[in-house]
Amino acid sequence: MSGPDIATAAHLDDGSGDAAALGARHDLGPGMRASPLARLGSGNIQLVMPYMYVVVLGGAILCLQPRLLTGPGAIDALFSLVVPLALVAFGQTLALMTRGVDLSVGGVISLVSSLLATQLNDRGPIILLEILAVIALGLVIGCLNGVMIVLTGMQPFIVTLATWSIGDGIAFAVLPIEGGTVSPTLANALTGAVLGVPKSVLIVAALFVLWFVVRRSRFVRDVTAIGSDEVRAHLLGVPIRRRKIQAYAACAFFGSLAGIYLTVQAQSGSPDAGDQFILNSIAAVMLGGASIFGGKGSAASSIAGAVAFLLIPDLVFALGLTSFWSIFFQGFILIVAVTFNSAVQHRARAAA
Amino acid sequence: MRDMSGGLRRNSAILLAFVIAGALFVFGTIYAPEFASYAHIRTILITASFTGFVGVGQTLCMLTGGIDLSIPSVLAGAALVTANLANGSTAQLAWIIPLVLVGGVAAGLINGVGVAYAGVPPIIMTLGMSGALQGLLLIYTNGGFAASPPESIVNFVTGDTVGIPTDVLVWAGIGAITAIALSWGVFGRKLYAVGTNPVAAFLAGINVKRVLLVPYAVSGLTAAVAGILLLGFYGQAFSDMGNDFLFSSAIAVAVGGASILGGRGHYVGTIAGAIVLTLITADLDVLSLGTSAVDISYGVILLAAVYLGGRKLGRRRVAG
Repeated sequence: MSGPDIATAAHLDDGSGDAAALGARHDLGPGMRASPLARLGSGNIQLVMPYMYVVVLGGAILCLQPRLLTGPGAIDALFSLVVPLALVAFGQTLALMTRGVDLSVGGVISLVSSLLATQLNDRGPIILLEILAVIALGLVIGCLNGVMIVLTGMQPFIVTLATWSIGDGIAFAVLPIEGGTVSPTLANALTGAVLGVPKSVLIVAALFVLWFVVRRSRFVRDVTAIGSDEVRAHLLGVPIRRRKIQAYAACAFFGSLAGIYLTVQAQSGSPDAGDQFILNSIAAVMLGGASIFGGKGSAASSIAGAVAFLLIPDLVFALGLTSFWSIFFQGFILIVAVTFNSAVQHRARAAA
Repeated sequence: MRDMSGGLRRNSAILLAFVIAGALFVFGTIYAPEFASYAHIRTILITASFTGFVGVGQTLCMLTGGIDLSIPSVLAGAALVTANLANGSTAQLAWIIPLVLVGGVAAGLINGVGVAYAGVPPIIMTLGMSGALQGLLLIYTNGGFAASPPESIVNFVTGDTVGIPTDVLVWAGIGAITAIALSWGVFGRKLYAVGTNPVAAFLAGINVKRVLLVPYAVSGLTAAVAGILLLGFYGQAFSDMGNDFLFSSAIAVAVGGASILGGRGHYVGTIAGAIVLTLITADLDVLSLGTSAVDISYGVILLAAVYLGGRKLGRRRVAG
């Protein structure tokens, strides 16, 4: 490939990495940037939608039953549910951005939960070692996923489905039924409030900030490039294999953090603790506006998606419906959100 | 020429699945001689048939590069609605069963429209559908449980016709129709064409969107069939009864040599896959190993089958 070609490609790549946006900018001619409004119209609106879902759902609850959000401990209760889902959704965003998916987070969470509930003792500093050990275990599983995906060319869906099954199987062997105990010291460290702000809110806020710190990093830009167009990313010198392995390792890392939080907070473990998080995390990421075709996503939007997803049961309760309706609405809103995203993408593609 | 290589490719992977099934059967028989008894083989075939039924729809979906994750909800829905409407009596079944089957097709059609016409990724569309349907079921049944199914359904599933379990005969019939449609039907050819390369299929004059609609409708139908029959087999219906079939159907199709990318695979392979999965559970049962070992071996066998299948394909590509 000749020099100027690479320069042109590199110039094109400086940006969101979204094919539709690239096309639009190309039409404007070299050197000109699309106005923020035009960029919003060309697909980024999807990443703003989750905040609107949160505002609309939260507003509706505040109108109907304000105590569900303003009552004592209400926000802490909501965010205690948000923390593990937001953690998993953060990692799932990275996996989906590479055009993959990670189902094995379910197995990682179950495994971490059963190990912590049976092996964790209140013996001082050794707790920290055990926590580090389960995080390391998560990283190992994530690396295994990544290595199998890049080396064998098997579909991420298949590989992570298999590791999910294996992880759940080991979890069942470690802890056959829900139970076990977790040191109250750890529970105290992760629950409660600091200066009147619930720790659960602080953790979610920290995750939010983390995304804005890492989103301009080499890693996230490479992952975005891989998801947009793997061949072009390869030509631009992106280390595709390494980045994919890192993406799955990161996903499993966040999965093990979610498992730790879940187990410590409940002070007991469950061998199928993780299963609900697989589909819910994908739903949160989709509500967050990431494209399942890769190349676009924001973990911050996914976190907002997780909040919106978990506000639905509150709204259903506020409306005086049985809790079964929340399962219906969580599925329904997922279809509506994704149909909306697809429609916007199709329009953007047609316009470009 | 292309057709021939496609057929060979399918056969080698399918053959592998049947060899695995044979090995698992021999293994079980060595450990426990009653493994090969008529009663046990009968149980294995009936158990495998339910994965086999939902595997029809899942095979077609995966041939187009899609997947149907709404199978558990459609299956449980069919069982719950049948049990609730029939209320233990056989009298009304003549209209209840067609109604439930039409309901299954309708749920599948919604999936298909979302995937084919709205461009929603299959994983997400069927996932959302599954959630919405599960919610509706829980509301409808107020908790999602129904006992005492009509005796006739129980007798149908557990009974024999000319010495062969009726349920297995139904499976053989549906399996034969599916296999013939895939191998010799015009629609089967269109399905493989769309699964291999939708753009090329479109340029060849195939109505790609309409072809994409069918697998999901069929999957809704076969999940509903499985639900009604499973109602008879379990003697009750509950909202989680389909959960095991979410991935067992996908694994059976993958073990049967299909590519999740679409365009490669056959229902004959899925039959082998369903039998392999049932035999694994039966073998582990003989060894007194439970859920944990089943989960682990499902994972390992899935990786092994897909890896070996893919490797053969890769070698042929290099050779060709």
